[in-house]
Amino acid sequence: MLLKFAWRNIWRNKRRTLITAASIFTAVILALLMRSVQIGAYQRMIDNVVSFYSGHIQLHAAGYWDEKTLDHTFVANDSIETLLNHQREIVSWVPRLESFALTSAKELTQGSLVVGIDPNAEDKLTHLSQKVIAGEYLEEKDSGILVAEGLAEKIQLGVGDTIVLLGQGYHGVTAAGKYEVKGIVHFSAPNLNDGMVYLTIPVAQVLFGTGERLTSIAISIEQNADATQVATVLRQRIGSMPFEFYDWKQMMPEMVQLIEVDSAGGIIVIAILYMIIAFGIFGTIVMMLAERQHEFGILVAIGMKKMKLATVVVIEILMIALLGTLAGILAGIPIIAYFHANPISVTGEMAKAYESFGMEAIFPFSKDINIFITQATIVFVLSLVLSIYPWFRILRLKAIEALKS
Amino acid sequence: MLTRIAWRNVWRNKVRSLILLCSIALGVWAGIFMLSFSWGMSIQYVNLAIKGQISHIQMHQPEFKQDRKITYTIDDAPGRIQEINSLPGVRASCGRIIISGMISSPTSGAGASISGIDPDQENMVTGMATNVIQGEYFESKKKNQILIGEKLANKLNVKLNNKVVLTFQDIDSHITAAAFRVAGIYKTSNSSTDELNVFVKHAALSPLLGLEEGSVHEIAILLIEGAEMAPIYASLKAKYPALLVEDWKALAPELRLVVDSFRMNMVVFMGIILLALTFGIINTMLMAVLERFHELGVLMAIGMNKFSVFMMIMLETLYLAIIGGICGLLLAYGTIQILGRTGIDLSAFAKGLSAYGMDTLVYPALQNNQYLEIFIMIFIAAILSAIYPAYKALKLNPVQAIRKI
Repeated sequence: MLLKFAWRNIWRNKRRTLITAASIFTAVILALLMRSVQIGAYQRMIDNVVSFYSGHIQLHAAGYWDEKTLDHTFVANDSIETLLNHQREIVSWVPRLESFALTSAKELTQGSLVVGIDPNAEDKLTHLSQKVIAGEYLEEKDSGILVAEGLAEKIQLGVGDTIVLLGQGYHGVTAAGKYEVKGIVHFSAPNLNDGMVYLTIPVAQVLFGTGERLTSIAISIEQNADATQVATVLRQRIGSMPFEFYDWKQMMPEMVQLIEVDSAGGIIVIAILYMIIAFGIFGTIVMMLAERQHEFGILVAIGMKKMKLATVVVIEILMIALLGTLAGILAGIPIIAYFHANPISVTGEMAKAYESFGMEAIFPFSKDINIFITQATIVFVLSLVLSIYPWFRILRLKAIEALKS
Repeated sequence: MLTRIAWRNVWRNKVRSLILLCSIALGVWAGIFMLSFSWGMSIQYVNLAIKGQISHIQMHQPEFKQDRKITYTIDDAPGRIQEINSLPGVRASCGRIIISGMISSPTSGAGASISGIDPDQENMVTGMATNVIQGEYFESKKKNQILIGEKLANKLNVKLNNKVVLTFQDIDSHITAAAFRVAGIYKTSNSSTDELNVFVKHAALSPLLGLEEGSVHEIAILLIEGAEMAPIYASLKAKYPALLVEDWKALAPELRLVVDSFRMNMVVFMGIILLALTFGIINTMLMAVLERFHELGVLMAIGMNKFSVFMMIMLETLYLAIIGGICGLLLAYGTIQILGRTGIDLSAFAKGLSAYGMDTLVYPALQNNQYLEIFIMIFIAAILSAIYPAYKALKLNPVQAIRKI
């Protein structure tokens, strides 16, 4: 009954209802798109780093993360393997041996990160074989080397050429080796593309003289968001053994903070937008109250409870807000779905600028349901808060005076 | 006459007018403040990068940019630097040897970009001495001193006066190694370059490389604050036709983008805010027109022509929008003046910001012409939002309007 009453009331002044709903619609759709592109970009950034290289969680020998030397390495024993294989959330894990070395070809030298990998396992986690753009991917017992594209260009090197690695190995021994380039890999993140080379683990272990040792095990889990929790569980399980687990948030605090700063900026913009819309709605409410004094007076005079009347007015406001929000969400869904499937990719100088920050210049929209829920909740709460004013105005309504107006 | 009627009309419904004024003023204030914050951050970021790292202008051998071969040198650097320093508008300039190599400590190794500098010249250009947080800036006469970044020092696990070994190629492509003692540890606002760049004296590095005395790879030039870059750039280009002369916009296109794209971002951002405000204005003014149908009808019936009615409504809207806009502008100007002096502390996000070379104390700022541009945008939005309500008034049929109660 009250609902029907309110519904009819809002259509008595169609234009006002539509304008108010339209202003909410605009705010909702702008906020939706802004959040969606932001969250999509962060997700992409995290996925880039996590799935291209670091994994969600890493296992190291205790102390390795603070001081990344080959002296803080470990031998993967059975108990670690059992632990990792039995943790339900873990999708896959890959062993690695990483260190730094100078990379020379003919007369040119560049620094690079040398990573010893298990070719098959690595491919499952980071899809490395799909990034090979020339030559071939490493095989199980390969003696060849994969070189990142940017590095290969810098030292002018192609498939089949010979490359010399020179660095420092286990306990300070000199590490030197000569390898044939088996393939060139392309990474979209420039810092990876300019300085990665891959060997198989046994070859890397010989180069650095580490024996059976590894520097890290990268672990990939089902859900990005669970990383911290899973890392905590693993830490408890491993007990007092000299190992450490780091989740991606701990490994990349800079990125987490940058995302926080950027996200805060976006949230402030949206807050400003909603503040303006709130004033607009408030203006409408004030006008509506002034205009309908007479009508309210009559209703109260013929016996309508003020409480009921106030409820009707609040329902009216919520209905208009709901209308605007629903329209905004309905209009937003196809746009977001489209740009989720066909990400905006920036080209030219803009792309270079993003790449210089280590990001890909591709912006897929996020279709995270939470974005929609958040906007709807904001509008709902906003309308409720704004409804306080008409609620009290009507409760304090003096029928005689209202009738006179 | 019309202006006075319109002015009085605005204040006939004080509450409504004030709500609208407040919403416009607050919207404009919040919008401009956000803009000044992001402009301040961008400008600081660019200035920090210019003053601390890339300088206004750099010169290299044209080939050096492509492959950083050690043989692409600029000879007679001291003479040239003297010439450049005598140019009007130049504050200081310095020459550097730049090679890439590896730095290793007893426990660990890392890639490094090794700069051979003249400490006094370098300090005049980049203020390097002020970045030293431990030890000293090449003040003692000891041989083979090196200055490394704090982040690198942690990574290598070295402290002051420890020995590190630099490994690099000399001019004949032989791999050369030399021991240096850590004389100082520095920290700039860009932690990612701190991890890469190490500094040694030019005089210590050039014999190891087999370079001729006075040969450098790079000359960096810092201009006097506020000096026009274009004439200096042109005269350098004319003076050294064989060298590649580049200004900071060419050296760091991402910095140029930060500045260049700001204007577009500003228009889009203010556009969104004004769009939201426009809804509020249209809604309010439309109500004002509709509830005054009777009154407007009477005005027309007693001989006020349609154009005057149209103008009257336009003026009422413009008054509200412009007063609100000016209040917002003044409010924003005041806020920016105050916070522009004290700064806004973002040190909670220090790690993330400094990883990307940003300062943690942000000074909001906006240029005068930017205020003007924003005011013009407000004016346009005001006129656009005034048209529809005024048009509604124009469509009025006086006879019907008078009859209606």
